[in-house]
Order: sequence, then C-alpha cells, then structure tokens
Amino acid sequence: MKPKVIAASVVVVVFIVFGAYSFLDSNLEYTNIEGAMKKGKKVQLVGTWNRDKDATFDPRTSTFTFYLIDDQGRECKVVLDGAAPNNFELASSVVAKGRFTTDGTFEASELLTKCPSKYEAEAAEVAKTG
Amino acid sequence: MIGGLLLKLAFLACLLSILSYAQSYRTGRSVYLTLGRVFYHGTVAAIILVAALLLYLILTHQFQFTYVWSYSSRDLPLPLLISTFYAGQEGSFMLWALFTSFIGIALLRYTQRHGSEQTVMAVFGTITLMLLLMLIVKSPFTYVWETWSGEVASGFVPAEGRGLNPLLQNYWMVIHPQVLFSGFAAMGVPYAFAVSALIRREYQSWIRPATPWLVFGVLVLGLGIMLGGYWAYETLGWGGYWGWDPVENSSLVPWIVAAATIHTTLIQRKSGSFVRTNLALSILCFLAVLYSTFLTRSGVLGDTSVHSFVDPGMWVYWLLVGTILVFGGGAALLLLRRWKDVPVAPTKHASSSREFALFLGAAALIATAILVTLGTSAPLITDVFYSAKSAVDISYYARTTLPLGIAIGVLAGLGQLLWWNRTTGAEVLASLRVPVLLAVLMTGLLIPFGLTEPLFILFVLGAVFALLSNAIVGYRIFKGNPKYMGGAVAHVGIAVMFLGFVASSEFDATETVSLPEGEPVAALGYTMTYTGYRQLEGERYAFNVAVEKGGRFRTVAPVMYFSAYNNGLIRNPDIVNLVSRDLYVAALALEEGGEGTQQDVERSSFRQGERRTLQGLAVQFLGFEIPVMQPVSASGGERTRIGVRLLVQAPGREPAVVIPYSTAERDETVDEPAHYQDGVAFSIAGVTLPDNENGSPVVEIVARQQKEGAGKGRDTLVVEATLKPLINLVWAGVIILLVGLGTTVVRRSREAHTSQSGIG
Repeated sequence: MKPKVIAASVVVVVFIVFGAYSFLDSNLEYTNIEGAMKKGKKVQLVGTWNRDKDATFDPRTSTFTFYLIDDQGRECKVVLDGAAPNNFELASSVVAKGRFTTDGTFEASELLTKCPSKYEAEAAEVAKTG
Repeated sequence: MIGGLLLKLAFLACLLSILSYAQSYRTGRSVYLTLGRVFYHGTVAAIILVAALLLYLILTHQFQFTYVWSYSSRDLPLPLLISTFYAGQEGSFMLWALFTSFIGIALLRYTQRHGSEQTVMAVFGTITLMLLLMLIVKSPFTYVWETWSGEVASGFVPAEGRGLNPLLQNYWMVIHPQVLFSGFAAMGVPYAFAVSALIRREYQSWIRPATPWLVFGVLVLGLGIMLGGYWAYETLGWGGYWGWDPVENSSLVPWIVAAATIHTTLIQRKSGSFVRTNLALSILCFLAVLYSTFLTRSGVLGDTSVHSFVDPGMWVYWLLVGTILVFGGGAALLLLRRWKDVPVAPTKHASSSREFALFLGAAALIATAILVTLGTSAPLITDVFYSAKSAVDISYYARTTLPLGIAIGVLAGLGQLLWWNRTTGAEVLASLRVPVLLAVLMTGLLIPFGLTEPLFILFVLGAVFALLSNAIVGYRIFKGNPKYMGGAVAHVGIAVMFLGFVASSEFDATETVSLPEGEPVAALGYTMTYTGYRQLEGERYAFNVAVEKGGRFRTVAPVMYFSAYNNGLIRNPDIVNLVSRDLYVAALALEEGGEGTQQDVERSSFRQGERRTLQGLAVQFLGFEIPVMQPVSASGGERTRIGVRLLVQAPGREPAVVIPYSTAERDETVDEPAHYQDGVAFSIAGVTLPDNENGSPVVEIVARQQKEGAGKGRDTLVVEATLKPLINLVWAGVIILLVGLGTTVVRRSREAHTSQSGIG
C-alpha cells in the first residue's frame, strides 16, 4: 500500500509540474517590439502596418514582407512565411506570431488581421435591407 | 409573440414535471408520478411546437424576427435554409433543447422499465429547464424593433435577410451540428443517473442502466467531432483535420471524460469498486459540456481565437456561469454529503489485474482532458494572473498529449491481455510475448523511414502494440461471441487512428509554391501547373491546377473568393485523395500579372483549315489531335483529352505546329497551353460541335503574348501544397472505433434489459 501511495504521489506531482511548465512555456504573450526583442522567444507582435512603405510578396522565396509600427511608434521589418492574408489591405491592426532574428527582422509564421467585424449587426444594416 | 409564450409554457410545464416527480419520489403517490409524466410530455410537445414555429418563420422568410434576419436570406437553397435554424446561438440552444427533449422522452420510457424514473427524470428535467431558461433570456423570437428599439421603427419588415456566413454554406453545416448536439444532449443522461443514485443512496444499481446511454453519448459525440474535423479539413481549409481550436477542444473534452467513465464503470460492474469515482465522472461528463458551452458561447475567449465569438451580453454570460455553479455545485454538494455513506469495496486490485489497467487508462484520459482544458482556458487564466488575455501556442497540445498518448496506447493493449482480478506474472508474460515482439519489430522497421524522434517511436510502439493485442483478443472473442467484441474493435480503431495521427501530421510535407500561369513547377514530387481560373456561381473563383506525377494527370481546383459578409478572403482547398496519402492544395493568393495582360490576350474562332492572324502571327487550324490512349480518370468518370493542331508562323520565321490540349472531366476542363517559340501561348477556349453531320466543328483559340522575364505579364497563383501520408488511417480508425462503440451499445442495452430487476 505504502509504495503505491508514494508512486501515485510522484506521478501526480510530475504531471502538475509538467503541465504547468508546458503551459507557461507555450503561452504566447501579446507584446510590442521592445517586449518581443527582450523576450527572444515566440510572441504575438501587435501593431499596424506602415502604409508608406512597400508591402511585397516575393514569389521566389514565398515570403511576404512589410513594415510594422507598434504602439510606441517603433518600426520593424516583418517577414511572413507565406502569402499575406488578402484582407491585409483592410486590416485596422495586425498580429504577427513569430520571433526576432539576430538582424532585427521579425520572422512570422502566422499573420492575423483584425478587421472591423461584421458579425455583430447594426441597426443601420437592418434599415438598409428594408 | 406566440413563440415566446410557448417557451414560457414549456418552462412552466417542465418546472411542474420536476416538482411532480420529486413529490412522487417523496410521497410514493402514483398521482404525482402520472402528473410528472404528463407535464414532461407537455414540455416536449411545447418544445417541438416552438421548434416547428421557428422553422416555419425561417422557411417563410419572416425577416421581422432578428434571428431570421441575422442568419438567412431568400437566395439560400432549402437544406441550407433549414440549417440556418441553428446557425446562431439562440437556434443552437433551440436544437440542443429539442434533442434533449427527444432523449428525455426515450429516457422516460427506459426508466419506467428499469426503475429510478422519478429521480432520473426530475434531474433530467432540470437540464431541459436550464435550456428553456436560456431560450427565454435569449429568444429567437425577438423582433428587429425590439433588438434595436428606438432605431428601427416598430412593425418594420426587412425585405431581405443578412444571409448565412459563406463559411457555413455547405453540406457539413446540414449534418454536423445535429450530430454534435445529439451528443451534448446524451451527455446529460449519465449525470441524471448519477445524481439520482446519490439522492436514492443506491450506489450500485444505476451503473447497468446508465452504461448504454454513456456509450451512446461517446458514439454520437465522437461521430460529431469527426464530422467537424472532416469539415475543417475538406472545406474550411484549416490545413488539417484538427487545429486544437477552442471550438474543437470544447467538444473533445466531454468526449474524453465520458470515454474515461466507460472504463471506470466497467470496473464497478465487475467488482463493485470505484463507486465515488463513477459518480464524480458521470457528473463531470455533463459539466464538461456546460463548461465548453460557457467557453464558446460567453465571449470570454474574445480575440484569442481564429473564430469570431459573439459577445452575447451580460445576461447570457451570467446565466452560463450560473448554470455551471448550479449543476456543478449542486451535484458536488450532494456527493460530499453522501461521501461517507458510499460503500467502499474491500477488494484491492493487484497491479497486474485488468481493473488496475482500466483505472490507469481512465486516469491517463482524465489527465489528457485536464491538459486540453487548461490550454483552452488559457485566455481566462492569463486574464486573472497577468490581466491580459493570451492563448497558448498550438504546439502546447501536441507536446502535452503525446506522453499521455503513449500511456494510453500501452494501456489499451495491456488491458485486453490481463484477466479480471487474477493474472499471474507468468500469464502476463506469456500473453505479452507475441504482441510485444511483433510491435517492437514493426516499429523498428519504420525507423529507417524517418521515424527517429524517441517520443514518436514510443507513441508508434504503443499504438502498434495496442493494435496487435486488441486484434488478437478481438479475433478470439469473435470466434466465441462476436457480440462481445465491441471493446476490442474500439481499441483497434483508436490504435489505427493514433498511427494515422503520427503519419499525417508528423511526416507531412508542406510547401508554399508560386505557380506562374502555364508554367510547370515541381513541388513535393509532383509537377504543378496553374492553368487559369474560372468563375463559379456568384463572385467565387476556382483556380485550376494540373497536377502530374508519373504520367498521371489530376486536376485540383481550390476555391478562393472575397466575401463581403466576412469582409475577408474565403479559401476552400481541394484534395487529391489517394489510398496512401492526400495531396492538399489551398490557394493562398493570386498575384496579378503586370499591366497590359488583358490587352495581350486575343481570341478567334476557326473552322478546319481556316487561317487567322493572332498576336501578329499567321495561325491555321489543321485538325484535331485525339490521343489513342485516353487518360484514365481518377474517379472512373468520363474523361476526354483532345488537342488542336495549329500551324503557326511569325513573319520571316519558320512555321511550326503547335498543339494545345484540353482535358475534360465531367464539368471540369483543364487546359494545357502550347507555346510558339517560347513566345505566344495558345490554348483551347472551346470546341463547338456542328448541329448536323455536314457541318464542321468550330474551335475557339486564345493566344496570349508572353513577355520576357519570369512571371511578367502573367498571373501567379500562390498555393500551399501539403502531402499528408496515410491520412486515411485517421478516418478508418475513427470508423472502426465507432463500429466498436455501436457494438457495445447494443450489448450493454441488452444486458440492461435482461437484468432490469437485478442487482448491479
């Protein structure tokens, strides 16, 4: 009985530590450029894209490059693996998931765009369908 | 108006039914029992009427109702129009209530035969009552002028609805939610049985009648999850069948908890132990459903998911929280009050007994459920600790569930080889020898094929071991009594599914490929050529990509279009289904060619022998080129490939014969343009056959002027191509699992039937 209890306790403790560690380690923080650089690991970088600079897709490397401005007004180059989401043009703000490389480029694996949502209906819309 | 009234009537009848059943249990007077039944039937009748009314309003386009206006429109085909019934929150609660009431009626008849009717139906009635309350608070029968009071004039009837989200507009929408909500409704039954057992202090006899319902719930919910996964994979273009999205996770967790409960109730049936565990887990099955409803319906996940979660307002939020507190808190209090009262079986299970393996298996499943819940709840947890919402990276789920998956595989194999209560060490070793040796051998054979990661080797080893031992045991049972083989079959299914998970998600290869129009590009061992797009109904476009490997042509046509509804791009991938793998192609973007592309296209119609000038070239239509060997169609359908022989000559240059081809399969056509001296590309735009025998066919030829330099003047389609090896194992595994569960439902309901007056 005793060794069983000990074994069970060990399993439970290992499980809790493993779960808690994995959770904290996988948690993707929402942050700005300064925070992302300090962190060094994968984060979610929030900002708006600089419409004065080029946002281009390179078919040879299949990467999309644009410049992001964060809430502190800092700017960085973001290279996304893949094509831009096509509502990129309309996006009021963007969230890039990825990390900074040593040369100060943010390498993103995923790009989410936040658009003015249409899910919640407005009274004006009802009137329009009248 | 009448809808709201009916809902309130149903609520009242349900409340009276619960009270009558309770009174009948307390006093034992049969008049209350009759009243309880009558009122419950009344509740169900009212719910059916309400549902029929909502359906009627949708079918007759009564857009003055906010719900009808919000999700439907006149242009929807009938099946999709019907499916708008549950496209929004109010309607999906309605669907849930409807299925709960159907199950309630079945449960009433069932408990009437098997006993415990008063308490089980009183508890199940509270679930019905909760759903009705939700519907009264957020009614689908609100008028637009009530929703936007002051902004929309009273009595205003919109001429057209806002329509159904294009993401939902396909056949999966017609079937998936129904199955899922049937599963959710079924999960209420084990809860009702467990709470009823606590009220009655009858801790053993409830297991037998509750088991078929529990397994049925796992079967239906499992089917619902699978349909959802296939929907996500085949149409939504999430890149796979499982994305660990909160919506998916929240249906998975109740399923895992219920699957664990099947295992622990099995121990109680055999040895009378694990009584408290079974009571707690049966309660937890339904609480998991409620918690997942809270996560996905209350708006708490907010911006942290790809899904848009509508904030339903404070009322619904607190009602959902209250529901969890009432159902969870009530059951927990009752369980604690009875804790000491519950008999503890004196038998202790040896570590080499089937009971112990079942317990460990259930523990591993519960641990998995906890980890998935933890990850899904991340936005809530981080909100509390960091006061900023953030989600976990998707990789969290794979790395935490993988070690548990290894344990589950090993235990699923081991459990079958051990005997109840009495396996000696020698017996264990003897039965383990064959499956273990074979599993090690087979896994070892996979290592040279790239299976090198230690955790994945162990995972595959566990799954192969589970597959073999369950196949061996299953075959033995099959020779004895096939009705008893449900468990073995279900575990074979799990093992096959596990192998499919590893193959399709760890050995998949993804490439983002840029395909300039008409130019073959090699990717993933295939040659892909973008051959142009065609417009489907509405403003939707399909992008034809010819895929070739080893002389076999196939066409994929992923769809991509801008949806004004979502204010974004909608992508539907296309898949080449092969036995050993899927080639999954999703369009990512269309890079428009340089200026002047439109002007560089010229077209003309030819009869045989006629000459025209296209792009400054002299072009003569010589005749058709029909290959003797017509390519074999993948689907076995009609497929024709024809070419057009053109004699092309530039001024002062050598003439050359250029043969563009066109392959037609059912309603799809794939073009293979041909070039004249690497310049102008010719393709067949159409062939018109003559009306009578004497006429001659007319071909329409398009000539595109190519410019020097890569991609200049041409459109470039960017696709994401993924090769998913052995993905069919996933679907096969799920189907085998469901067959196994079905066999078990039949077996357990027969057992419950034959021992209706018997002991547990």
